[in-house]
Amino acid sequence: MVHLEHVNLTLGGAQALKDVTLHVERGEFVFLTGPSGAGKTTLLRVLYGDLKPKSGAADVAGVDLMRLRGVQLPELRRKVAVVFQDFKVLPERTVFENIAIALEVRGVSSVSIDRRVRAVIRALDLEERSYAPCRELSGGEQQRVAIARSMVVNPELILADEPTGNLDSDLSRHLIELFKQFNTYGTTIIMATHNREVLSWAPEARQVHLVRGEIKPPPPGSPGSVLDTKPIIGGSL
Amino acid sequence: MSTTKLFLRGVADMRRFPLPQLCTLLTVCMVALLAGTGLLILHNVQTEVLRTQAQARFQIYWKVGADLTAVEAQWADLKRAPGIAEVSTFTPRAALSELMRGLAPRTSGGALTGAEGNASSGEDFSWLEGDNPLPATALVSFNIPPDEQPEPWMGRMYARLKGLDGVEQVTYNPTQLTLATGWIALVQKAAWPALGFFALVVGLVVGNTLKLMMLARKDEVEILSLVGARPWFIRAPLFANGVVQGLCGSLLSLVCLKFLQSWLRSVLDVPPLFLKVEFLPLWQSLALVLATTCVAGLASLIAARK
Ligand SMILES: Nc1ncnc2c1ncn2[C@@H]1O[C@H](COP(=O)(O)OP(=O)(O)O)[C@@H](O)[C@H]1O
Ligand SMILES: [Mg+2]
Repeated sequence: MVHLEHVNLTLGGAQALKDVTLHVERGEFVFLTGPSGAGKTTLLRVLYGDLKPKSGAADVAGVDLMRLRGVQLPELRRKVAVVFQDFKVLPERTVFENIAIALEVRGVSSVSIDRRVRAVIRALDLEERSYAPCRELSGGEQQRVAIARSMVVNPELILADEPTGNLDSDLSRHLIELFKQFNTYGTTIIMATHNREVLSWAPEARQVHLVRGEIKPPPPGSPGSVLDTKPIIGGSL
Repeated sequence: MSTTKLFLRGVADMRRFPLPQLCTLLTVCMVALLAGTGLLILHNVQTEVLRTQAQARFQIYWKVGADLTAVEAQWADLKRAPGIAEVSTFTPRAALSELMRGLAPRTSGGALTGAEGNASSGEDFSWLEGDNPLPATALVSFNIPPDEQPEPWMGRMYARLKGLDGVEQVTYNPTQLTLATGWIALVQKAAWPALGFFALVVGLVVGNTLKLMMLARKDEVEILSLVGARPWFIRAPLFANGVVQGLCGSLLSLVCLKFLQSWLRSVLDVPPLFLKVEFLPLWQSLALVLATTCVAGLASLIAARK
């Protein structure tokens, strides 16, 4: 699903990604960990085509990121859904509209949009807020809208950048459960987080640890660190 | 989603940003009004110039003491000549009384009442009547035939009038004519650069205001792009927005222009100007609306480019 080989990238003169090699297979659940400023967001931005690596090879869902041009970016983004810490929902639009937007850009018929949006709204327990503008929603509800928007299109890969960053512990846990459930249906998930508690809720997930733009072994004692070393070595073989 | 739906969405979305929309509308209206005012002036000067250009005026002086009955017969012929627009004739006597009337208020010195002044000065010049020094004169205006070149035609007419029996002198003013042809040449040369300039200004203004509005919609554009919208999906509503702005702005400017024209008319259609300021002809009004709309649409497309 994700194949990065010796990817380098500079941001504002500083090297934000250093020789990053990462392979993620279809159906994997991967945590991207590391201190703040390590380059987690930068790496995710590369994966959804927002930043172009300076050198290396990069392929996501069959799209060559090094030769991303014209209509390929929308194509990539139809396969890869992104969830952010700050939700990125449109505050003036209703819950329904915010979720429907992802299907509208794909030219899905309005009958089908109606059916599919209702289904995810039910699954994410947002039925009572369907027609409320998102600005009236709590943080947890807004994040569920953002997740609903990414799930409604059945993406091959979901990238999540600290999705629990603005939520309390209970909501965070609920959110991780949602992602895990979605992962069992076959969707690949890469989630950046520096919250150790979050890691402990999905101990079976693989961890990729970033330090100053480089992939390093996770620090000892962190949840999943034992599981973690194997895939990294395996991935680099 | 069909393009029509995207356009409709763009128009419906306009109400979500009332203030920037209003600002854009007013700016487009103002620029279009400026261009419209330019057109209005051009159009009216043009009609005025064409009107005076199409007429040739000659002042004919007969010899002093020419036989008045023969001269009056010539006048009658002139009045029947083809293409004649206006003939004013003055017998020596009429010319004299005209002259006296013109001089009278000045000689009266303002101390006397008007009536007394006139009567007394009329008396003063009466001794001249027996031996009038003034010639018979005529002021004739012709409509220049549209299929004729004005200058040679005026030359030929000059020669004909000069050749009339008893005519001493004929004067006409060809400079007005060269002014007219010069003006038309100038308009023809300046029209395209002026239009280009106007289009540029409208484009810049609309483009910039739409860019500002896109800044307000930055989040929406970002999200649309994140969920995989193709460029047209993002641009079509903005394009519709620009077109509607151009259309409404220019139509509004026509309404303002109509008010301006009515006002100018009331101000200028008074003695001694008698300038009848006309409104733009239909095709020019339509061209103004069309041009503004096209430029606004184009500018919004360009502004919507990332
Ligand atoms: N737009 C930018 N311009 C310059 N430097 C940036 C930019 N974005 C991020 N960086 C730098 O790149 C490094 C990685 O940032 P980021 O990927 O946001 O880290 P993380 O998400 O792990 O906290 C940081 O040192 C940050 O200061
Ligand atoms: Mg970050």
